[in-house]
Amino acid sequence: MTRSKTFSRAGLMLGVTFVAASLGGAAAAQSCTTKIGAVLPTSVDWGKPIAATAQFAVDQVNEAGGVNGCQIEMVLRDSQVDPKVGVDAAKALVDLDGIDVLLGAVSSGVSMPILTSVTVPSGVMQMSCCSSSTVFTGLAEEGKTEGLWFRTFATSGVQAAMGAKVAADQGYKSVAVLYKNDDWGQDIGKLVAEDLASLGIEVTGSVALNDGQPSYRAEVTEALRGKPEAIYLALYPKEGIAAVREWISLGGTQNMIVANSLKSEEFVENVGLQFLGNTLGTDTASPRAASADAFVASYTEKFGGAPTGPGLANSYDAAMIALLAMQAAGEGASGAEIAAQIGRVTNPEGMPITADGAGFTKAAEVLAGGGDVFYQGATGNVQFDANGDVSAPAVIWSFSDAGISEEEYVSLDDVNAFMAGLD
Amino acid sequence: MIGLLSYLVFFSTLAGILAIAVLGLNLQWGNTGLFNGGVVAFFGAGGYATLILGGTPQGAHLGGFDLPYGLALGGGILIAGLLAWGVGLLTLRLRHDYLAIATFGVAVAFENLVRNAQGLAGGASGVRGFERPLSDLLGAGLSYNIAFLAFVLTALALTYLGLERLIRGPFGRLLRAIREDETAARALGKTPDRVRLVAFIAGSVIMGLAGGLYATFYAFISPQDVLPILTFQIWAMLIVGGAGNNRGAIAGAFLIWGAWTASGWALSRFAPVDVQLYTGSIQFVLIGLVIVGMLLWRPQGLFPERLVVSQSGQPDR
Repeated sequence: MTRSKTFSRAGLMLGVTFVAASLGGAAAAQSCTTKIGAVLPTSVDWGKPIAATAQFAVDQVNEAGGVNGCQIEMVLRDSQVDPKVGVDAAKALVDLDGIDVLLGAVSSGVSMPILTSVTVPSGVMQMSCCSSSTVFTGLAEEGKTEGLWFRTFATSGVQAAMGAKVAADQGYKSVAVLYKNDDWGQDIGKLVAEDLASLGIEVTGSVALNDGQPSYRAEVTEALRGKPEAIYLALYPKEGIAAVREWISLGGTQNMIVANSLKSEEFVENVGLQFLGNTLGTDTASPRAASADAFVASYTEKFGGAPTGPGLANSYDAAMIALLAMQAAGEGASGAEIAAQIGRVTNPEGMPITADGAGFTKAAEVLAGGGDVFYQGATGNVQFDANGDVSAPAVIWSFSDAGISEEEYVSLDDVNAFMAGLD
Repeated sequence: MIGLLSYLVFFSTLAGILAIAVLGLNLQWGNTGLFNGGVVAFFGAGGYATLILGGTPQGAHLGGFDLPYGLALGGGILIAGLLAWGVGLLTLRLRHDYLAIATFGVAVAFENLVRNAQGLAGGASGVRGFERPLSDLLGAGLSYNIAFLAFVLTALALTYLGLERLIRGPFGRLLRAIREDETAARALGKTPDRVRLVAFIAGSVIMGLAGGLYATFYAFISPQDVLPILTFQIWAMLIVGGAGNNRGAIAGAFLIWGAWTASGWALSRFAPVDVQLYTGSIQFVLIGLVIVGMLLWRPQGLFPERLVVSQSGQPDR
């Protein structure tokens, strides 16, 4: 029902998107349902909260009256972290449920075939919370994503640049890099090594760590060989704990720089806070923004715990920005029309709006009046570049008795300036 | 309606590609009794080689030779065959479960090779930059998918017909003789080692073809596509369909892949919202139950092997 209605409207709305946007607010009060799709690895432990957070954003918007007066139904499919299963699920969502917006996937190895074989050929907007591979940037530069691809996870570039900045600020002369051997780890490991070299810091070694090994003694020994003054870790807690314990027991330096993936209580508890005094971490989120605090507060109220898992704030922002763009594009807009509105809802010149139901209502009013809004998200002030990548402000943090303490806030302008200074 | 058609085309394409791989495994296991636990290595070799040979130039890794599609796919098949030749020479003296373990090791080694060899295969971020053949002519939408489905089904039909001819002829009888009693075959003057190697390579070449088509369809391949789960899925298809029967192999591929996707779809549609988050786990349980049920109540598969006496005048055995 809804689908055939949507299709017939799509014909009418072609070329008059802006008119439709201004009428969108007035068309409220109907009871109708618009579907969006989500392909997320819900059969994996850390995938469930990512999906729950996206649903949370959808619920908030529905409570605030929905998008263009329609309630949003998020149809969730499990990717099982298997590209075949994820691609099939995405295709079923596009063809059988008639979605124009797809949230997902998490791993780049799943998001990529979905993008090349489903969403781009079908003209569906795809927004990922968590895919970090630089391959997407290359594809977008070749124009093959047709402007339909976005991600709220800052590319590894920002994290890597901040890691290099910490090393330079601390005056380290030589650094060894340990990275997780997956697409994220390989990207960030390579980027941080380049950034360090361009700042004149010697990289004594880059060592890859495979998943699920009981011991990383060989890898740690190899990294120790260059006698680095400091070590950079792009690892997840599981292998991070094992590697850092061995690193310290073998007499490695406690000058550590870590990526946001190690910002976890599990890591601190298992390594011991006494060894982490000289550890500095980087993250792209912006805890300075009131909106981020608001997200933490509302999340804690809803789920009874703070959002500490990976990708939660990104997942929330991905869902919220997608819904804002749908609101801006008006009823019955196609995926490409929705994607074209992303700039209007993340416009730094626009009216700032908060990341909750009230913010959505306010955004709907502003958009209906022809204005732009600036979404203040759970990950800070999200802005996409031409490739659908986000740059983001960064924080440098450390471990302390109180948990995570912020050491330095690097604004978006400073991040961009610093990154422009690297080759 | 058009949506349903579009989805069914997409589904059948992937099921058809998997069916080709199952046919390859059926030649090895169903007809020759070779327990190949490393299907993904040959599938992946075909896929990776096709993309590397046929892709547009990429800065970060080998590849981008931009060869015409026929050559790229042929190259993929050739590489899969060469890999099988090397692996076969080393491992085919092993029997049964030892061969399974050795080939499984090869598959894991293959995955680790492509994950780590960034200069060769793009590392963990995979190989892309592949233009789908004839996409200028056919566009990107449904028409392209229908044309590609026709191509896949043609490849499937040719593979099926070729294998049927092969196993009904003297060579097929020889394969089954080796499967049932190798010593007896040797006593009759046959050379089981050579024949096993030929069957292993032929089966792997077919898997390489499936891998090449798979990578073409997605225009992308990464180490996530060659995880051991794929070997398991292809084995499940053969067991459910019926080892030793080519029609069973094809039916098994469509049925298992259909069950895999349909259960996910049904759970996302009909399960209550609270349960939605657990659909993935429920799906694994359901599929596991189907396989256990098959093994308990119909271990010969849906389409059991039909043993025929192919020379007249001989008494029944």
